[in-house]
Order: sequence, then C-alpha cells, then structure tokens
Amino acid sequence: MKKWRYHSPGDLQRAPLDRLRQFPRKPDMLVLGLRSIVALIIRGLLRIYNRFEIVGHENLRTNRSLVIVANHCSHLDTLCLLAALPLRKLHRAFPAAASDYFFQSVPRLWIAAVIVNALPFSRQVRVRQSLSLCEQLLATPGTILIIFPEGTRSTTGELREFKSGIGSLVAGRDVAVVPCLIDGSVRAWPKGQRLPRPRKVRLIVGTPRNYRQRGRDKVDICAIAAELRDAVNELRQRNGSN
Amino acid sequence: MSPEIALHDPVFHAYVWIVLISLVVGGATLGFLRVVLKKDTASMFRTYWSWLVIAGLGLAFVFAGRIATILGVTLLAIYAFKEFSRASKLCRDRWMTGAVYAGIVAVGIASLVSQPRGEEPGVAWYGLFVAVPAFEIALILLIPILRNRARGELQQMSLAIIGFFCIGWTFGHLGLLANATNAYGFICYIIFATALSDVAAFAFGKIFGRHPLRSGISPNKTWEGALGAFGVAMILPWLLRFSFPFFGVWQLILTGLIVGIGGQLGDLSISVIKRDIGTKDMATSIPGHGGVLDRIDSLIYAAPLFMLMAAYYYPLR
Repeated sequence: MKKWRYHSPGDLQRAPLDRLRQFPRKPDMLVLGLRSIVALIIRGLLRIYNRFEIVGHENLRTNRSLVIVANHCSHLDTLCLLAALPLRKLHRAFPAAASDYFFQSVPRLWIAAVIVNALPFSRQVRVRQSLSLCEQLLATPGTILIIFPEGTRSTTGELREFKSGIGSLVAGRDVAVVPCLIDGSVRAWPKGQRLPRPRKVRLIVGTPRNYRQRGRDKVDICAIAAELRDAVNELRQRNGSN
Repeated sequence: MSPEIALHDPVFHAYVWIVLISLVVGGATLGFLRVVLKKDTASMFRTYWSWLVIAGLGLAFVFAGRIATILGVTLLAIYAFKEFSRASKLCRDRWMTGAVYAGIVAVGIASLVSQPRGEEPGVAWYGLFVAVPAFEIALILLIPILRNRARGELQQMSLAIIGFFCIGWTFGHLGLLANATNAYGFICYIIFATALSDVAAFAFGKIFGRHPLRSGISPNKTWEGALGAFGVAMILPWLLRFSFPFFGVWQLILTGLIVGIGGQLGDLSISVIKRDIGTKDMATSIPGHGGVLDRIDSLIYAAPLFMLMAAYYYPLR
C-alpha cells in the first residue's frame, strides 16, 4: 500500500473571513448542499410569492459555457436567473457581483460566497483584472456567467447604457451570449426597499448569439455592448408589460 | 427542557451564575497579570474573549430547550467535521463527506426521538442511537462499490469512519443527555467541567510545566498540567454536587475520573491527528482557540462515558 498523503494543508491557518473572500472557491459538501437547498427554497418562494414565470427556457439548454446578460433593477434579478438554471449547473454559475458592495460586510459576503456563488467584480479599479478572471472561468466548459452590464441597479426600471466591458469579454470568443429581460422586479423589490413585495416577476430569455467573428478593437466592443442592449430592449418591446 | 422550565430551574440558574463568576474571575486574573505584573497576555485575552462568546451561546442553546440543545450539538459536530475534512483533505471526496454529514444528522435525529414501545414513554431511544454507527459504516463501505473504484479508497473510508466516530457519534452523546430529567445538571456540568479542566491544564502547565506528557504528540502538554487538570476534575463533582444530588460517593468519583482522564485523552487523540496532518490547529474559526474541533475535543471521551455512567445508575428520562 502506498503511504497515505494528506496533501499538506496550505490554507488551514487562514481566517474564516479570508477564506470566504478567496476566489476561485473550493466548496465542500456542506456548502454545496446548503446552496442547493436554499436554491430550491428560493425557487419555491419565487413561484408562490412573485408568481415567477420563465419565457424561452429552451434557450438556456446547453452544456457549453454561457454568458447571461440581463437588465438590473433589483436583487431579485440574480435570484430569478439562478432559478432558471438546472440545479446541477448551479455550482458552475457565477453571478458577477460588485466587490465594493457584496464583498465588504460580513452577512453580504457570506450570502455572496455561500448562497449565490458570486464572482467578485471590482467596478471602479482593476476592471481589467476582473474581466480576465471571467475569461479564465469561461475557458472551462459548462461555466455560466451572469453579468449585468449596466453596472448597477436601475431605480426606474429604465435600461441604462451597457458598459463596454461586456463587449470585450465576448468579442472574438466562441461563447454563447444570452440576452435576458427580467420584467417586474423593479416593482417587486426596488433598490432601497428592505424586503420584496408580492408582485409578478417574469424572466424572458432571448435567443443566444455569438460574437466569435467580431474584432476586439474599441469600436467593435462598444458596438457589441450596444447590440446587446438593443437585444434586451427588443425583448421588452415584444414581451414586456411596460 | 424548555425555556419555561429553565426560567424556574435552580440548577440552570446556578450554572448561569457559576459561568458568570468564572468568567469574571478569569477576566480579573488576566487583568491582574497584564496591569500589575506587566505580562504579555494578548493571546490569552483573545482566548478569553472567545470564551465569553462560547459561554453566551452555550447557555442560550441550553436555555432554549431540548430540541435546541440537540440541534446545537449536531451543528457543532457538523462544523467540527467540516474542519476535520478540510484538514485531512477528505473534503475533496464529496460522497464520503456527504455520507458523514448524513450520519451526523442521523445521530441528531436518533437523540431526538424517544423509545417507540418502551415501558416508560419519553425515554431516549439509546438502541437507535447505538445502531447509527453500524449503518453509517455500511454506508461508507458502500460508496467505493457504487463508484466502482478502489484506488485510495481505504484512506478515504478510514478518514470518514474516524471522523464520524470521534466527532459525530461520541460527541453526539452530549445531545442524548438533553433527554434526561436532570438534563440541566448533566449537560451544564459536563461542559463546564471539561472546559474548566482544560483551562486548569493550561494554567498549571504554564506555571509548573516541566515534564512533557507525550513528547511525540504534543510538545506543549506537560505532566504538571495534566495532573492539575485531573485534580480540578476530581474536586469539581463535590463542589457542584447540586447538579446531581442523587449521585453517591462512587458516582462522584467516577464523574471526576471521566472528566479528569477522558478530557485529557480526547485532547491528545485529536492532537495525534493534528500532528500527523502537520498542523497546529484544525482551523481558525474561534480566535485564540483554533477550530471548533480543538474546542470540543475534550468531550469525545468524556461525553459518552459520562452519559453511560449516568444512564447506568439512573435511567435517562
């Protein structure tokens, strides 16, 4: 018999908070189980409390890497998008979350790291570094990135301009980009409200697109961002209630 | 056990006061060391602040009743096993860790349900509790068969079984004690006594420590510290006799022996694991103490032995 190996424990002496901040994470069975259970509960609550409904679910059925691009006006958006994914893909789905908001206070950090499996994205400084982290993740097949290119929650429900970072992430890369519209979340849980209200929320999933052929120069990148914004706007015109 | 009973239970009241007084005395001693003797007490103060939190949480869970106590014990065991699996890198094996978590939850459930057809209703179902490890080991042995793999499986199975046994099952006896009529006395005593004898071991070792206890296992433990802890553990049952007024002289002596020797043995057996893995503490979850497992390790011998001793003389109901 070979000698047993424990693989020298490198990070045992790290403080628990440091370990929560670390990315990529190495979740153990406890975290995976807790995340799955909470995801199931959230799915049930959304169905009952917000009469949650998904249009165009078939557009998410793929085993390849995905970038989901959506409008953002509420914390419910992330939960809705996660609820649209099959449970076994949950642990490979990374919603990009503002590291200045979600990775500072301890409760938010815990929720972001354990429940949502968020990717710490720095909005102000080191944007390039965050984007390259996204690129590394996308290299593994089956990764799902959830990105809100508006960069923050919109208070009115209006679609803000998309940041060009989304363009530089998908330009010239063979990855499916799925534009999504979350309809009603601004009424159900607007920014600044403590708890969600029982208003109807719908998720409309658009058809995937691919920007493999596009160049990576500034003009193209901005054009892609604008195209994606138009795609989300079009979803609203076709299906949206307002 | 329930909040209403705890409010009027003299034993629980007494323990609240005892814990408060011990914490005040401990704090005053540390303050004296720091202010008058100008000793470096930073690390001891870190340990002390954590003791405050531990004492508060422990009393809150015991106050909240039987179910809360069993839940607390189960959660502690789950977290301690998480640390063990991280340290031994068992955590990469999701099936094994999953099986052990399931086993720990089963231990919690087994200490919650009462005997279905017992002559006296309300008696804890110890038979089920004892059967859990058998099924758990069967489950762990089943996993390599299910995934059709043999390479390295013996190591994973052994780690899982040791982890489940030491952390889930033996420590889980603490939850079983919550079913006793005299639950407050038993639980508060065993936790307080092991904690105090740990502190005594540290203090005696710090002051008189010369001869290493087990030099191959833990360099910091000394015979002087162990004897000091043993002495404290032997005296304590007499001082706190009100926690189990029906105990005779023999039972009191047995209680002292269980806490005095069992506490040290539990500490040492976890030290063996830590030493082989090559780490000082299992984790850093409790500042100044190490991991949760480093805190509860003295109970892994003491809790089952004490529970059996108590149940031998007085049926748990």
